[in-house]
Amino acid sequence: MGSILVVAEIQNGAIREASYELASVAQSLAGTSGREVKSLVMGSGIGALAEEFSKKGGGSVLVADDAALENYNVDAANAAVRAAVEAASADLILLSNTPSGWDVAPRLAAGLDAGFVGDCFRIDFDGGQFNFRRRVFNGKLDAHVSAIEGTIVATVQPGATPPFEGTTDGSTSDLSVGFEGVRAKFVETKKSDSTGVDLSKADIIVSGGRGVGAPEKFAEVIQPLADALGGAMGASRPVVDAGWLPHHYQVGSSGQVVQPKLYIAAGISGAIQHLVGMKSSNYIIAINKDPDAPIFEVANLGVVADLFDVVPALTEAVNGAKG
Amino acid sequence: MKIMVCLKQVPHQDARLDIDSAGTWIQESNIKFEINTYDTYALEEALRAKDEGECEVVVVSIGPDRTTQALRTALGMGADRAVHIKDEEADGSDALGLAKLLAAVAKEESPDTIFTGFMSDDDNFAAVPPMLAELVGLPHTTAAVKVVRGDSSLTVDRETEGGSYEVVELPLPCLVSVQTGINQVRYASLKGIMAAKKKPLDVKSVADLGLSGSVGAGAAKVKIEKIAPPPKGDTAELLEGSTDEVVAGLVTKIKELGLL
Repeated sequence: MGSILVVAEIQNGAIREASYELASVAQSLAGTSGREVKSLVMGSGIGALAEEFSKKGGGSVLVADDAALENYNVDAANAAVRAAVEAASADLILLSNTPSGWDVAPRLAAGLDAGFVGDCFRIDFDGGQFNFRRRVFNGKLDAHVSAIEGTIVATVQPGATPPFEGTTDGSTSDLSVGFEGVRAKFVETKKSDSTGVDLSKADIIVSGGRGVGAPEKFAEVIQPLADALGGAMGASRPVVDAGWLPHHYQVGSSGQVVQPKLYIAAGISGAIQHLVGMKSSNYIIAINKDPDAPIFEVANLGVVADLFDVVPALTEAVNGAKG
Repeated sequence: MKIMVCLKQVPHQDARLDIDSAGTWIQESNIKFEINTYDTYALEEALRAKDEGECEVVVVSIGPDRTTQALRTALGMGADRAVHIKDEEADGSDALGLAKLLAAVAKEESPDTIFTGFMSDDDNFAAVPPMLAELVGLPHTTAAVKVVRGDSSLTVDRETEGGSYEVVELPLPCLVSVQTGINQVRYASLKGIMAAKKKPLDVKSVADLGLSGSVGAGAAKVKIEKIAPPPKGDTAELLEGSTDEVVAGLVTKIKELGLL
């Protein structure tokens, strides 16, 4: 019997929330599949983080601590995970569907000659096998996928599972990794511009869609409401593909998946690929002229009206309410 | 220089998605297909390199007869040659099976760069590009939003999160999967479409690629058991009235949420 290997990710000097979500998935599957949970924490100078993760769902943590792992590098990460898979005798390897996870996980699977299931929102063990659920056709349909045999690599959609809470008996041990095969070179991380906001951390997001009509209207109408509420501005895919806003504003399955306390969708009809990215928000307000727009199916509160009537008036009212 | 571009033909974005009788995929008869959106950007990226200098662009696709249309479109846009992997034995391949087929072509072609789309609009896996890179033994990166070509390397901005990018340098040969919006995709001109009719389009079988028994449903490690519409949520409570009334209602709600 193999083990379940959680590949944790470090972001801004801490273990990512998504990694605690993986720990939660792994701990639950450990019970149903009779497997032990092991984890990999990789980075440079990360001993304390590994210790912390082992006590919070990570179980037996393999620690790959090397300067080569300081910044994400696909080849270095792949080498570390390969070493961990071997050390842990893992037959289910879980990564988050983050920029690092989606980059390395399929490569890892091919190298292991393993099955791969990407961007799952749920994993179960029943009938003696792992079963996965994921969206297909940009969220229009759900697929139930089963692993036929052998080792499986899966990525899990961030935000789809509550993070692990509680404590576990954990341990850490050093993992030795060879980095001879590293060819890709990390150069730097950069922000596209000063307005680049990690939407996944914003409490309030005000997003505009095709209904906003023109690029300049985002600055004139949508951004002021986001600013008044102390939130961030987002957009749907057609806005970004038309070149009205840079891609980092995009909320959706091909952009950012967000879960703010309040999401306001203005002029967004609600193509499923957008809904996948925001429907887990705590509270959703939709403003759209079309009463049949699918956005109203996921919204808590809806206004069927022209966004150009409602949004500027709301901005003014919010600014007034703050005194 | 040679650039290989992997294309997938997928159901049109506005196509009706009816589930097939087996309940494991959609009914593909009587719907329109198109080149996967992401892949059009990958092709454009290759054609821009061709515009700048001497370069052969080879497009490769796996699929039934209808896939010819996607390849002809790509040739019409400016690609030089097409390879069509067409074989019922490939049906039911999982991502790894598809990557094996493409890898066999890549090994024959030995391109300097492989461009692919970041993911496909139908199964949304985003798995084939990194798998292909691993199988061919090339360095790779994903979700590229900018590619700068050097003499012996590519410098790529890959999209990460929250408006951040990672800049990665890859020695040639390498594989890059591209994000939508990386460029503005050209249309095939009438002249291009006419010229495309004379361009080579090779058809390869699974056996031609030496992969009999290694791909297709029988070799797949993962399998779709069922597809179904996602559970439908409840419809929103609607605020009605004048703009002032609606706005007052919204402000009240935002205050209740403790956000104002």
